[in-house]
Amino acid sequence: MARTTSAGPPADLLGPVQGEVSWFCCGNAWGPCSSTGKGACGTCNSGNLQHAWPNTSDACWAITRPDSCGFSLSRRTCGFQHRTTALCTGTSVVTTIADCGPQTDLFCGEQSCCGATCASNRLIDLTPAAFSRIASLSAGLRPAEISTV
Amino acid sequence: MDGIAASQPYVIALFLLWAGLVKLLSRRTRAQAGRTALARLVGAARAVPALRLVGLAELAVAAALLVPPVHPLDGAAAALLSAGFLAYLAYASVAAPATSCGCLGGHSRPVDVRAFARAGLLLAAGLLATGATGAHPPLVPLAVLEVVALLALSAELDRHWLVPLRRLRARLCPPLAVPPAGDVPLETSLHLLRRSPAYCSASARLTSDVRETWDEDGTRFVVYGAGDRTAVFALPLGGDDPRTVRVALVDEAALA
Amino acid sequence: MRSRRDVLRSAVLGGGAGVVAATALGSLGPEAAFATAAAPDAEPGAPDPNFAEGRIRSIKDNTLLVLGSNMVFHTIRVVDGTSLWKLGPVGFDQARPGDGLYARGVRMPDGMLAAEAVWLNIVNIKGHITDIKHQTLHLDHNGHEVLCHVVPGTSVAVHSESPPTSDLSLLKVAQHVQILGAWRPDTNEVDIATVFSPH
Repeated sequence: MARTTSAGPPADLLGPVQGEVSWFCCGNAWGPCSSTGKGACGTCNSGNLQHAWPNTSDACWAITRPDSCGFSLSRRTCGFQHRTTALCTGTSVVTTIADCGPQTDLFCGEQSCCGATCASNRLIDLTPAAFSRIASLSAGLRPAEISTV
Repeated sequence: MDGIAASQPYVIALFLLWAGLVKLLSRRTRAQAGRTALARLVGAARAVPALRLVGLAELAVAAALLVPPVHPLDGAAAALLSAGFLAYLAYASVAAPATSCGCLGGHSRPVDVRAFARAGLLLAAGLLATGATGAHPPLVPLAVLEVVALLALSAELDRHWLVPLRRLRARLCPPLAVPPAGDVPLETSLHLLRRSPAYCSASARLTSDVRETWDEDGTRFVVYGAGDRTAVFALPLGGDDPRTVRVALVDEAALA
Repeated sequence: MRSRRDVLRSAVLGGGAGVVAATALGSLGPEAAFATAAAPDAEPGAPDPNFAEGRIRSIKDNTLLVLGSNMVFHTIRVVDGTSLWKLGPVGFDQARPGDGLYARGVRMPDGMLAAEAVWLNIVNIKGHITDIKHQTLHLDHNGHEVLCHVVPGTSVAVHSESPPTSDLSLLKVAQHVQILGAWRPDTNEVDIATVFSPH
């Protein structure tokens, strides 16, 4: 399925982008994670510094559809590194792509704030190990800046 | 008995027509073929051709069931298709439990008990259809009942009837009624705290999640670890101005 | 003799002995930047040595023995400064064998993890609400049904960046949500801490 270009050039093409970051579990672990498996790249584990990206393949794009929220993101494949920096705390973590996600189109326009700084739309999902480096797991959803390394 | 057997070809043909047409004509179904259990079985590259082949087979058997003369082989073919389909569902539920079966619509629905029940009913209908001779007219009320039962078992159609029904029930008897006004949930306070300048300036140094919290005289105190020290926030209960949140970094060891 | 809470309360409301930095106005100035040494960076993509995940096998004194999903055992030490979360901040006495665990801390030379934060049974699952009945949301998560229970006084709903509310009645059947909560071990049930609704 061809990727739509109606949302213009990828927002992350020329510099960092701001959006929301959440976390997810993977790797056949306890609880509801026991059914999640190792992700689209086959390597995902909750204890690894990894993340899910909305545009790892055409099939992935068909699920996440960031263009439904009015923007596009670059195609990045398994193992690609991103840096996620929590807004207002400034703490950051570098992770590699291990899965497809989040489902950006199902949360279009959603906003999260830290201090007076807010960001919209879900751009990235981190593993628990990665998310807990920049925020508390119990927060669930945080605004962040995503950049390439 | 003959009337029952005579009804089955029409019931089965209806579903085979639906399934076959969706596989051949629905772009959404073809677009999602790569994510179905079928793709796991034959490989993602062969998923769409396989889907088309199955669709053609379903249409062919549907035509055989509808077009006279009636022959026991028509029912046998339908039963064979259903048996093969049951085996496919069993494979899907074991090998790829979270994937859609790609059966009767483009809306992904993982294989569940209803899918098995529907396939089992169609298998039974196929076996009954082998007894049809064409000499007896079909029992229309029975056929209608069977179709309704099969439609109710079709999870692909839930959004047309089951979801609206559940929404209506929730509207008539609200299951999540507004609770009486009482304590402010901790998460409400933490939301205010995270929006405060106090949190912005301290958060990079926090090394733990909330360690303890207590309320006193209209103020909520929230305590975090900050390395060797303790960060304590004070915020008004029921307030919504982030600027009223205070923070202090305390060296508890020095006070001991 | 003042209680510890008295001391902390005085510190944040009025300053005093032992206070390293504070503000009566709500923000800390640059002179209050408290430096901490940066933890050595773990390799991106690799396991984080300062993080542990798994299920608690046994509890002895202030130590948790945890079996990870990769069949590796972790020994985790909990101290006074460690936070514990189990649907909210709880004491160490709330930890149970069988609880799912994530822990972040500092890996000691002997391999033990000195925990700074421990989260028990915490899950963050996304899915469609398939039904709402009797204070329970039925969630379709990756094709599996998860029963998510509303806990009075604790569960809140967040609609975008609106303040969290304990009124969950705006949630609708068939909508997509994210549910942060506490898994009930060995079940498909979760107690809700926060429901994130996009609208």
